[in-house]
Amino acid sequence: MHRCFRFSPLRAVSLLAAVLVLPSAFAAEPEAPAPVVVFAAASLKNALDDAAAAWQQRSGVKVTISYAGSNALARQIEQGAPADLFISADEDWMKLLSNEGLTQKSTEHDLLGNHLVLVAPAASTVKLHIEPGFALAAALGDGRLAICNQSVPAGKYSAAALQSLGVWSGVESHTAPSENVRAALALVARGEAPLGIVYTTDANAEPAVRVVDTFPESSHAPIVYPAARLRDSKNPHAQELLDFIESVQAREYFEKQGFTVLSH
Amino acid sequence: MTLSLSVRHRFGSLELEAAFDSPDGLTAVFGASGAGKTSILRLIAGLVRPVQGRITLGDDVLVDTAQRRFVPAYRRGIGYVFQEPRLLPHLTVRQNLAYGGFFSRRQAPAIDFDRVVALLDIGALLPRHPGTLSGGEAQRVAIGRALLSRPRLLLMDEPLASIDELRKAEILPYVERLRDELRIPIVYVSHALDEIVRLATTLVVVNRGRIAAAGPAGSVLSRIDLPILAHRRDAGVVLDVEVDAHDEHWHLSRLRCRAGLLSVPRIAHPPGSALRIWVRARDVSLATEPPRDTSILNVLPAHIVQMAPGDGATVDILLDCGGQPLISRITRLSASQLGLAPGMPVFAMIKGVAFERG
Amino acid sequence: MLDLSPDEWTAILLSLRVSTVAVACSLPFALIIAWLLARRRFAGIVVLEGLVYLPLTLPPVVTGYMLLLLFGRAGWLGAFLNAHFGIVFAFRWTGAALAAAVMGFPLMVRSIRLALEGVDRRLEEAAATLGAAPPLVFASVTLPLIGPGIIAGAILAFARSMGEFGATITFVSNIPGETQTLATAIYTFTQVPGGDAAALRLVAVSVVLSLAALILSEQLDRRGWRRVLGR
Repeated sequence: MHRCFRFSPLRAVSLLAAVLVLPSAFAAEPEAPAPVVVFAAASLKNALDDAAAAWQQRSGVKVTISYAGSNALARQIEQGAPADLFISADEDWMKLLSNEGLTQKSTEHDLLGNHLVLVAPAASTVKLHIEPGFALAAALGDGRLAICNQSVPAGKYSAAALQSLGVWSGVESHTAPSENVRAALALVARGEAPLGIVYTTDANAEPAVRVVDTFPESSHAPIVYPAARLRDSKNPHAQELLDFIESVQAREYFEKQGFTVLSH
Repeated sequence: MTLSLSVRHRFGSLELEAAFDSPDGLTAVFGASGAGKTSILRLIAGLVRPVQGRITLGDDVLVDTAQRRFVPAYRRGIGYVFQEPRLLPHLTVRQNLAYGGFFSRRQAPAIDFDRVVALLDIGALLPRHPGTLSGGEAQRVAIGRALLSRPRLLLMDEPLASIDELRKAEILPYVERLRDELRIPIVYVSHALDEIVRLATTLVVVNRGRIAAAGPAGSVLSRIDLPILAHRRDAGVVLDVEVDAHDEHWHLSRLRCRAGLLSVPRIAHPPGSALRIWVRARDVSLATEPPRDTSILNVLPAHIVQMAPGDGATVDILLDCGGQPLISRITRLSASQLGLAPGMPVFAMIKGVAFERG
Repeated sequence: MLDLSPDEWTAILLSLRVSTVAVACSLPFALIIAWLLARRRFAGIVVLEGLVYLPLTLPPVVTGYMLLLLFGRAGWLGAFLNAHFGIVFAFRWTGAALAAAVMGFPLMVRSIRLALEGVDRRLEEAAATLGAAPPLVFASVTLPLIGPGIIAGAILAFARSMGEFGATITFVSNIPGETQTLATAIYTFTQVPGGDAAALRLVAVSVVLSLAALILSEQLDRRGWRRVLGR
């Protein structure tokens, strides 16, 4: 019986130290405030990172941003993900959350606009002019068109554009759908896909792709990025960040990437 | 067909250096555990490549390290009955037996399947799986399988080691039949002297990786200078005898041999049969005068050839009995009291009941 | 019973096809590699072992990315294979099969290797003395004895292939009808608000298939061992 637990001074001291140290591991740092959590469409990455960094500097509050396809983010918010702000790449997903009462309606605001472009790897010399019935299928050859899947805003816009131009049926079975627009961009940048459809802002951000042509605005629904604060957002600084993003000072970060900033 | 062997190889901690010839018949390889007996078989079979040596079978050179020649096991035509049956568990007994004949494309005339099955009495076992057989049954099948591969030479490695006495007595006759009826040269490893006595034509004695003796079984067995043969509990000699007559009244048999006539308890063999019997040294007593009024039936005149003191109390005495060697084991005290010395004429006495066939 | 849409059926059938091809094609290689690892000793064997077992420990996405670099359209081997043999893996079910095969390979090798190491070499010796040359010994003795191990490994690899996600989606994306297997289909449905019903249907199918594979493997294993040990 006495073999079970042998008393030794070293063990006693270690045990005591652990017991004393443990509570402090759970205690939050008293000084730093909780970070503001933002869920944003993947295409916003470069611009929003810059804007958030600037705000972080001046306010001293940290920002955590999660980038993905807007559909995925909307679903996570539905499931109760602890986000403060949501910036979607199309109105449908914002409307969905709004109708479910998950947003603070007074904060809903159309933030940015964008354009859809056809891109190719930087080394490619393909020349195409986007017009009804243009030779997209021929240009693809046996390769695939890198676009987003139909649930992602960029995918919806792309399909709509190609449909309205009458070339969708020719390329529908030759697409390589991705989960978000940055993934589609990467496929083209890597040379895996000879052509792809992404936002202007994405093409600007990636030196390994070149823009072949821009899709006319008439070929798809207007690309609008609504932003809102979420109903369950508890962070007091969240509104400050949203205000900053919508402010004049933040315009430069978005315009630098190629976004159109929609006026208040 | 003679097997000729001269090899040198290291097996773990055992340094083996062996050379002997094995003519037709059954060559027994005898020695203590770890002496190198199995290693010799594995070299003959081709399962091991020696660092140096030469092995020939008839006109075929199986191994010659000087010429860098090594015939792999599967091409040697040498059957091997291992200590364990090693039957293929996923095949039936019949398929196991057929396996032996399937791969050998040898010119040697095929041994008839049915004959082998009859010889080894395994007919009833054919449809069964090895997992359901007893040790003795499995071993008989293993022998059959080796035979059906048409071997030029058959190696048997203590095949009866893991078999009980009763079964052993059943199988030994089969081995004798292999030797006598099928006339296949056999190299037979054993550390059981009774098997050797019964089966061996030639005897090779291995001790610690070296050949201590090699030659006709009868003469090797009677060498009392060999430490592993002599001073054993069952040291003795082999007598080749012929059945002379039977005494029905006293239920005895009379055997004729070079040493003289012997009376033994009745045996089954008819007059004229040739046999081998084993005379244990401790069953042979000595007298310097012809004994009178004694119960001992067999008294043979002999003279002392050699005396080898054993451990402690005993001494082994080699006798010449009309040209037949005999060994007598008595106490050193008695030897001293009788004043025994090489060259002396004596009388060797062997009790009749000492010959009970066991 | 389960009202599956055409897309869902496509995903299921594609998964079955991809997994079957993956296992069937990698089996001979797994046999060879397992034999090398179990029976041979040579310089670099440790490296080979490490490479074979790498997909077990690497995050699947990493494996998928490496496959992309090697076999993508612009990949080092991919471009070569396409130009000279017309073999394409990128965005095709063949790529999904390759990803599944790579991920399941270490499981197959491990199972076969264990079986090989359990074979009684003495039986192989006996076969040699009966006149069977080494390849014949392998075919007539070794192979039947490791049969249960091969099957167990194949089923394990099959199950792993059915569930393969990370490497597949990284290597060949998620194209319905071509590379959208059961796992990636479920994933896609969980990414869309309102996709729960479809996701759950596919989950049910997935569970049924896994259970079937497990039970089958158990049965074969048991019967296999009984035969080998002689009933």
